[in-house]
Amino acid sequence: MKEFFLGIDVGSVSTNIVLIDKEGEVFYSAYTRTNGQPLESVKKGIKELHKAFPKDGRIRGVGSTGSGRQLIGTMVGADVIKNEITAHATATAHVVPDVKTIFEIGGQDSKIIIIENQMVVDFAMNTVCAAGTGSFLDHQSERLGIPIEEFGDLALTAERDVRIAGRCTVFAESDMIAKQQFGFSKAEIIKGLCEALVRNYINNLGRGKKLEAPFVFQGGVAANKGIKSAFEKEINHEVIIPKHHNIMGAIGAAILAREYVEESNCPTKFRGFEATDLSFEPSAFECGGCSNKCEVIKVEMEKQVVAMWGDRCGKWANSL
Amino acid sequence: MKVSFPYMGTTIVYKKLLELLGHEVIMPPKPSQRTINLGVKYSPEFACFPLKVIMGSYIEALEAGAEVLVTSGGHGPCRAGFYEQVHRRILEEKGHTVDFIVFNSMFRDFKQFYSNIKKLKDKNSWLKVIKSLWLVYLMINKLDILEKEVQRIRAYEVKRGETTKVWESIQKDFDTVRNKVQVMAAYDKGRKRLADIKTYEVKEDRKLRIGIVGEIYVVMEASINMKMEELLGNMGAEVERSQYLSQWVAYNALPSFINKTHEVDIIKAGEPFIPINIGGHAKQTVGHIADYGERGFDGVIHLMPFGCLPELVSQSIIPKISQQYDIPVLTLSIDEQTGTANNLTRVEAFIDLIRGKRMKKIS
Repeated sequence: MKEFFLGIDVGSVSTNIVLIDKEGEVFYSAYTRTNGQPLESVKKGIKELHKAFPKDGRIRGVGSTGSGRQLIGTMVGADVIKNEITAHATATAHVVPDVKTIFEIGGQDSKIIIIENQMVVDFAMNTVCAAGTGSFLDHQSERLGIPIEEFGDLALTAERDVRIAGRCTVFAESDMIAKQQFGFSKAEIIKGLCEALVRNYINNLGRGKKLEAPFVFQGGVAANKGIKSAFEKEINHEVIIPKHHNIMGAIGAAILAREYVEESNCPTKFRGFEATDLSFEPSAFECGGCSNKCEVIKVEMEKQVVAMWGDRCGKWANSL
Repeated sequence: MKVSFPYMGTTIVYKKLLELLGHEVIMPPKPSQRTINLGVKYSPEFACFPLKVIMGSYIEALEAGAEVLVTSGGHGPCRAGFYEQVHRRILEEKGHTVDFIVFNSMFRDFKQFYSNIKKLKDKNSWLKVIKSLWLVYLMINKLDILEKEVQRIRAYEVKRGETTKVWESIQKDFDTVRNKVQVMAAYDKGRKRLADIKTYEVKEDRKLRIGIVGEIYVVMEASINMKMEELLGNMGAEVERSQYLSQWVAYNALPSFINKTHEVDIIKAGEPFIPINIGGHAKQTVGHIADYGERGFDGVIHLMPFGCLPELVSQSIIPKISQQYDIPVLTLSIDEQTGTANNLTRVEAFIDLIRGKRMKKIS
């Protein structure tokens, strides 16, 4: 019988599901768009996984991460519900053991993680603006009428340099329009955009941190060759892109689940593949207990309340 | 006089002092979303967050009938020194008539201090004033001892939320005391109730201790800092704050030549990093981080109001202190735009980081 660990990363843009074996090798992976419906996309993803799942296989542990980690963790019955930073660092340290700096750019946030001896020693997440994230690139690719998949390759064909203001998405966009009117080609604008994004990222997240090689670049945006080359230009060093760069969070969650199960020897809380057919409904209500009027999220499974959160005082969360 | 004051930390002590002097106290409500909304609406956009929240608190206190607002001033090049002036003008423009009594350090302007005290003294005898001050000082001290215990126990409670509940009811007990005997009785009862809380046994080498430093208002007022102490406690970490009322009072009430409080050592510890007074609590912040580093704490959370100048300066020096003392520091800036989900992820990852540092691995 083969034993597997399931990792689910529910982000703002993509939902990733991976299956790793006991050695940490990826057996199955799926990268799908969340489209604003985390529950539906996970249900669909797990059904797909069920089809590909070997008959003699068994799931021994489940980990969830990403912005929807709590909701999804409750739905599937996760053993470990972890933040994205720890999950990403875990996966990278597994793939590139001597990694020192991780650049991670996702759909709606970006992070930098500093690692020493396979240990997270410092990290930062973007604070001010979405100008350093994938959603910004997505939006610009739409505006320029170039599919995001071709974005990076096109940037590499640019002949001239053009500097685009990268501090804020709105200003970047108006600057781009101006530069287009000055006669720069689409390729050059895109290259300028990639460089602006990287400059913004390093200035915002790398401030006060010692950036040392080896550098690993991951997250959905790592597929973009233009950004990779902009990074290499900015830090003057080669940047490693792991094979599974876009699903590292999910891999990390699966590894964390494996560690947890092996250490605690607990049976998994996984509700099984069939659980995706159960009715599962999150709802929100405004608590009128005080003037905070917290928006409390209530999750019901088969009409039974399984989780509550969002209240500042803990009146609801602690009531279960 | 119907008196009120800004809401910060264990407010029952201010209330008690004013009550003992025979004033009618209008308790400002604990800052809520409504308080913040009101404050943000009537404050300049680029004012710092504490000014906005306190603005909201004042408006709510005035709605409840307050006539006089008692507050502390500030000194040094930080905007907080002008708070009272800004608040006064905004309230006047809004059509409220209100009187302010602003306490600054008595060593700076004793005349002003004396006239403030006289206003609050009203018809009471000086003996009564001194007795009341002593009683309240005793209360602050006892409450701070209990609160430090609360911050330790919360990390290991079996039933989540129990310690916080007990702490709230202890504060209610203290609210009814009138003399020294009753203070001591409330204290003993509180100690006993805290000792009765069921806790997990955690091995000494598994315990995590985290210090919280930063600007006094965002550090002390739980309702606007995402209940940082409870949050860390629930994640299994013991917490200590850089600011406690008893320390603040002792430090500010004693003349420098006999001032042997811990705060003096803290400021000295911070001096290699920020040698001059730049206002706010920047010197204390860096001093406390160094102090926590020396005392073997596992990590420090640094809270600052968004755009706070003194704390921005300390933030830029933190990497150096963090390296020198080998203590991780997480800076969070707080304002009305604070997205809790994002900060929660940061705090969770930070706890993983310091746990990992202990266990020599990521998770």
